[in-house]
Amino acid sequence: MADENVTAIRISGARKTYKVTGRPHKIAVDDVGISVVGGSIHGLLGPNGAGKTTTLKMLLGLVRPTGGTFEIFGEDSTKPRGRRSLGFLPEQPYFPMNLTATQAMRFYGRLVGVPRSELTGDASLLLSRVGLEDAARTELTKFSRGMLQRLGIAQALLGHPRVVILDEPASGLDPVGQRDIRKLMLELRSEGVTVLLSSHQLSEVEAVCDRVSILNRGRLAAEGDINALLNVSGRTSVRVAGIDVLPVALSDLAEDVAVSSGVLVFSVPTGKTRLVVDAIDEARGTIISVMPKRDSLEDYFARLLETTAGEVTVP
Amino acid sequence: MMKRIWPIAVAVITDSLRRKVVYVVLVFAALLAMAIPSLPDYGLGVEGAVFREVALALVYVTGLIIALSLAANRIPAEFERRTVYNVLTKGVSRWEYLVGTWLGIFSVMAGTIAAFTIVEQVVGLITYGDPMWRLWQGALAVLLEMGVVTAFAAAVSTITGPVVVVTITLAALFIGHSRSTLLGGEGALGLQPFYPSLDAFNVVNPVAHGTGVPLLYLASMVVVFVGFVGLFLSLGSFVLGRRDL
Repeated sequence: MADENVTAIRISGARKTYKVTGRPHKIAVDDVGISVVGGSIHGLLGPNGAGKTTTLKMLLGLVRPTGGTFEIFGEDSTKPRGRRSLGFLPEQPYFPMNLTATQAMRFYGRLVGVPRSELTGDASLLLSRVGLEDAARTELTKFSRGMLQRLGIAQALLGHPRVVILDEPASGLDPVGQRDIRKLMLELRSEGVTVLLSSHQLSEVEAVCDRVSILNRGRLAAEGDINALLNVSGRTSVRVAGIDVLPVALSDLAEDVAVSSGVLVFSVPTGKTRLVVDAIDEARGTIISVMPKRDSLEDYFARLLETTAGEVTVP
Repeated sequence: MMKRIWPIAVAVITDSLRRKVVYVVLVFAALLAMAIPSLPDYGLGVEGAVFREVALALVYVTGLIIALSLAANRIPAEFERRTVYNVLTKGVSRWEYLVGTWLGIFSVMAGTIAAFTIVEQVVGLITYGDPMWRLWQGALAVLLEMGVVTAFAAAVSTITGPVVVVTITLAALFIGHSRSTLLGGEGALGLQPFYPSLDAFNVVNPVAHGTGVPLLYLASMVVVFVGFVGLFLSLGSFVLGRRDL
């Protein structure tokens, strides 16, 4: 928990351009800034080609930035020393396939400085944490796509990293596997580990992330607390049972009205909530919930990508 | 530093041994070594010298095949399969990765050349009753030269694929042994000190036909080896450090 309230990852002014012969430079990432609070789960979202992977690769020292600074706990992460408290799961992790899972874990464990006496124990512990305890001695050539993904997560956790960067961790996993990964991310957060999650799976991001950064066309399109981003400002969502139609008093106020399994759902201006409660009482309905109206991340994401051409939304 | 370089080297060694290329080359070379005594041009009294000369040539070719097959493929394959991501994101410097890879290939080569030299010694002992200890001097020279070749190939492989690496390395090897041909004329003699020559590693005559290589010369070979390997790995690290992965 020691990392809480400190900035674990700081990216500022990130820029990457590529030379294209005979054409203007291609701008892959342009002035992106991301700040990740220690001990939180931060989502990095964006459509294909938005610059997520390039931004991560610059942070990880795999791609040379054209500009910007990249820090992990205040250390320049483009230098090897700055990455020593880091675990990384690449999108589609690949391994030397002639090794067994334990041999691969021992190899990566030695690179992160796990003492030789602890290698086998740590490898075994992490393999069982990702559900591969029965495949520890299996050659990786016999691993399925999902098993390789789990191994990728296990190797990212070697050496007790303070920051874990996961690029599409649910890729290739079945629904149970995806649930396991979500659980693992929440466990890591509870252990004080900072998680930066890049994912296309919006439901996964919505379920686990505290904050998100959304990239579009190489620029930061939105960043903030996920609740603040998704809550629709000034509107309250109401769920009511026991009545089939809205009371007349509410017909001008209510929007997004829907009925599902005998429950009436609608939204009203937040300032009119008292009026709504009284009207439902008079109609002998039962109020199930009254809460801030919230978009799904999917709707928010789609709307944002339609409307943004680079402007930044910071709630 | 070594705690990151050595695991990479061990991974290269393990991978090379599992791929069995080394064994195939070694068995094939050993069969050829056993066939040397049946060569038809043997003159009376020079059998031992001819055996040593051909044996050294076989060691050289074996070393070259292993150097090229491992060094030209290893790094481009790691980039292509992205296995290098898991290594470099663990706080490993790119130069550590390159040096570790070179060290692994060099170790495999050392083991192979040593094994092959033992086979040749056994054949020599059985055929001529002479264990031919001088072959080890030749084997050392070949190993050092192949270490340089591996460093060169590994450096080139940081920017291009296996076919180009092999082509450029063979061309460099040819140039490395052509100083007297290319700079033999009087007008070019002044350039000879700057020529990247590998002739220092050519000890065939003293090993096969002479009385062996003086210790001081062996030491000077090691200096040349360290200089070339250091230069090529430094250049390779510089290039790799600037590359996007």
